[in-house]
Amino acid sequence: MSAAILELRGLTKTFGGLTVIRDLDMTVGTGEIVSVIGPNGAGKTTLFNMISGIYQPDSGDILFDGSNIIGSTSDQIANLGVARTFQTLRVFLNMTVRENVMAATYGATKTRMWQSVLRTPAARREEAEVRELAEEKLAFFGDRLMGYRWDQPAYSLSYANRRRLEIARAMATNPRLLMLDEPAAGMNPVETHEITELIGRLREEAGYSILVIEHDMHVVEGISDRVVALDHGVKIAEGSFESVAEDPAVIEAYLGYGAARSK
Amino acid sequence: MEFFLQQTVNGLTLGSVYALIALGYTMVYGVLKFLNFAHGEVYMFGAFAGYGVLTVLGGPSALVVPVWLAITLMFVAAMTVATGIGVGLERFAYRPLRRASRLAPLISAIGASFFLQAAALLLFTANSRSYDAPTLIPIESGVTVGPIDIWAVRILVIITAVILMILLTLWVNRSRAGKAVRAVSFDTEAAAMMGVDVDRVIVITFIIGSALAGVGGVMVGLVFGRIFHLMGFIAGLKAFTAAVVGGIGSIPGAMLGGLLIGFAEAYTTSYISSTFQNLIVFGLLIVFLLVRPHGFLGRPDLAKV
Amino acid sequence: MSQIGVDRWVEESESRQQQYSGWTAPARRAFDKVRPGWRLALFLGLAALYPLLVSPSGVRIGITVLILAMLALGLNIVVGWAGLLDLGYVAFYGFGAYFYAIVSSDQLPAHWPTWVAIPVVVAATALLGALLSLPSRRLVGDYLAIMTLFFAQVFVEVVRNFSRLPGEPTDITGGPNGITGVDPWTVFGFSFNTFNRNFYLLLGLLGLLIVGLYRLNDSRTGRAWRALREDTLAAEHMTTPVNRLKMLAFAVGAAIAGLSGTIFAAVQVGVFPNNFMLVFLITVYAALILGGLGSIPGVVVGAIAVAFTPEILRNPGAAGWLFYIGLLTLLLVTLRKRPMVAAVVAGVVAFGYLLRAASLAIWGDTILGVPNDTFTGGFLDGWLLILGEHQDMASNYAFVLAIVGVLGVILTRGWWRVVALIPTIYLAVFVWENKLALQPSITRQLLFGGVLMVMMAVRPQGLLGTRRVEIT
Repeated sequence: MSAAILELRGLTKTFGGLTVIRDLDMTVGTGEIVSVIGPNGAGKTTLFNMISGIYQPDSGDILFDGSNIIGSTSDQIANLGVARTFQTLRVFLNMTVRENVMAATYGATKTRMWQSVLRTPAARREEAEVRELAEEKLAFFGDRLMGYRWDQPAYSLSYANRRRLEIARAMATNPRLLMLDEPAAGMNPVETHEITELIGRLREEAGYSILVIEHDMHVVEGISDRVVALDHGVKIAEGSFESVAEDPAVIEAYLGYGAARSK
Repeated sequence: MEFFLQQTVNGLTLGSVYALIALGYTMVYGVLKFLNFAHGEVYMFGAFAGYGVLTVLGGPSALVVPVWLAITLMFVAAMTVATGIGVGLERFAYRPLRRASRLAPLISAIGASFFLQAAALLLFTANSRSYDAPTLIPIESGVTVGPIDIWAVRILVIITAVILMILLTLWVNRSRAGKAVRAVSFDTEAAAMMGVDVDRVIVITFIIGSALAGVGGVMVGLVFGRIFHLMGFIAGLKAFTAAVVGGIGSIPGAMLGGLLIGFAEAYTTSYISSTFQNLIVFGLLIVFLLVRPHGFLGRPDLAKV
Repeated sequence: MSQIGVDRWVEESESRQQQYSGWTAPARRAFDKVRPGWRLALFLGLAALYPLLVSPSGVRIGITVLILAMLALGLNIVVGWAGLLDLGYVAFYGFGAYFYAIVSSDQLPAHWPTWVAIPVVVAATALLGALLSLPSRRLVGDYLAIMTLFFAQVFVEVVRNFSRLPGEPTDITGGPNGITGVDPWTVFGFSFNTFNRNFYLLLGLLGLLIVGLYRLNDSRTGRAWRALREDTLAAEHMTTPVNRLKMLAFAVGAAIAGLSGTIFAAVQVGVFPNNFMLVFLITVYAALILGGLGSIPGVVVGAIAVAFTPEILRNPGAAGWLFYIGLLTLLLVTLRKRPMVAAVVAGVVAFGYLLRAASLAIWGDTILGVPNDTFTGGFLDGWLLILGEHQDMASNYAFVLAIVGVLGVILTRGWWRVVALIPTIYLAVFVWENKLALQPSITRQLLFGGVLMVMMAVRPQGLLGTRRVEIT
């Protein structure tokens, strides 16, 4: 039984009069893949936003690897080992593919401006290392982001490739917890299948613990060790995919009271 | 004590003008989330338009029409010219950039402001003009309330401003068009999906904002006499400060802010020194931006990530 | 043979770019062959020849160009790379100039040696930049722009009225009359006290700056700045300490401005509050936008164009060349088809003849005035109406009508556009010859304001920049 890498205790967040997350308890174990599901407006992305430091919760704790990260800035949290992707896809459009990934290594590198300007040996060495790291992360995605693609601006990539780039960029921060916000959004069945395999590989080959928000149940079924279902900010079910999928509360949340009753 | 009251009246007068200009800034920001740097120049052209009409009608000492008619025509002319420029700016300088980066409309606005100042310099030269208001509306025709004399011009300015602000508030809160403006300021996409013609709303906003600024220009000419091609810049900065202090995007905020800045300037000029009136107003803005960027009556920005 | 996952179009893009067409093709291909380092050397080499070819006043203009280039490069870091709209940049320039002037003149009196003065001034300006960046933690976009704009206003006010501040401090800024008698840069006994020497000093510094900036752009810091501009939130999530980087951008930009300020003060042998007003800021921005935000060669080209323009405008003959060539270029670019351009030119001349004939018929000869002594004298004769005593008023109306005409041109297409262009162009020429040709400062202001507006609408990436894709 490995220790929890992420632990949420009694997390609550209110915006104006609306309570978006209410008294949420949740854990992600080291090496686990946990999926968060729920209808739109359930508070899933707000949850991510609190973990990654965009919002402060009104009450509760967020423990990453045992220490409370509430109040830390997003870059500090990233340096601690939490990386995420965004529902709305936020790659650096006008930078090249390789630069997108290289940019994510800022926190782990230390070349100062004057060293860059003078091109000291240390600066050149670190730059080469960063370049290599970026290419290595991009190689994880097969041929899609290789070769001549490295020097193409990110806006020239297809939608699916941009999603992959965003994941590669997150990987370059050398995280221990990877948070993916709807990684399969907008993808066709083939791409969806690839993403499912990819997430598995991310755990097997790269060793990340992964927290995923996802709507596509095929993906959720294919990847999850555990599923957490939210509705209106409250956890309504937790467990294996099968148990959550059969849970009447979950069915009601998605399909309404009648559907739950008829089950 | 009388000095203080006198300065209070001054502040009220100044404040009314700043409020009118600030309304233009705040309404455009509310609807487009964009600061129209060139708004001050709109006000300046309004002032000159008023002057033009005054001259055509014979000048302050030889009017061919009654004074009240002259002033009304001056206001109308100012509103027309100001609106023309404002709408032109929206259509040609800002609308093409609605989908562009954040920087583009701001840079275009700065360019427009610069261009308009140059145009004014070309058309009017650097010489200032005078409305010669005391001839137009004699000082004696004011009222005396207690220990202080209030000139008629100032009463005119304050009352006109108050009437306009009341009309605006009624319009925004009661009319359909006003509701559309409020909807667009709140959430442009949702408003569009509810059938609101966003482009038209934006044009209406510019029309109203510019017209008010034009009126403000004539008022300044009447109260202070001198108008010149650079007046838009400084007044624009101060009115902008007023809009921010009151809460950018909030119409009552602009009115409140205008008054506050008017008072600040009146008291500073008289009690401290006129050299530093600008400095103090700018300082106020900097403090507000740091401490409370949404001003007194604005809403803190909530953006969805 | 197409393969899934291999984007052949993109793969072949490099080779496609090589296939330039049009009359600039041979030049562009030759340019591509030269490696960037050599391009810079070529530029510096050509620039070094400049003082040998012009008069001392020409060298002085060259100095202005180089200072503007330095300033624009510094501003490029803040606006082009980090994406922070700094409208107070000119205050850093002023601060550097004033500080240097104060410690290098009889103002205090103090005559600090250059090797002490320069580092101190640059460091102090950088610190000021860092301080001014603090509000950028909470303010973005418009708010930051306003704040910095106000700061620039405050700077000028303070400098102009320093001695009247509460507490009656000693007048170290010289008030509205500024400071005069500023020492030139002196290094190892060698004094940069002539225009030529300062020109080469600036050229050398500019060269070093350009090399440094190229290296910085392709480094960890450069990437972080660009990420900051692209998407601040995402950059922060990818370990970029955004506040620290904003501060760095401001500080480095300010340092460069401060350095430029010291040379400016040394060359002008004095500093005055009016040197650092908003007008100059617009000039720097015009250089940046025209040349291309974010592109180092673009910025330099922009600075050259923007700095030489006022000088050209001052000379009526040269100004005329600039105007007509500019007009023709605009026509070519707007219409693209040569028959249309020819039609417009012919139409304008015809329109002119008609108008002139009609005016003479109605008002007689007396309205005519004396044409300017510009180069165009001959070829305008006969069809352009040059007025006498009503010149001013008619020019004003013509100006307003011309602007309306331009708006009309924007709204039309095809042959309708030709129709709209004819009276508009005529009016433009009319206003030029009757009024603007002799008012270079107004023309310059109109031009710069217009450049900012037009560039943003038509070609936001400037002359040499690359097209950006923005998240709407």
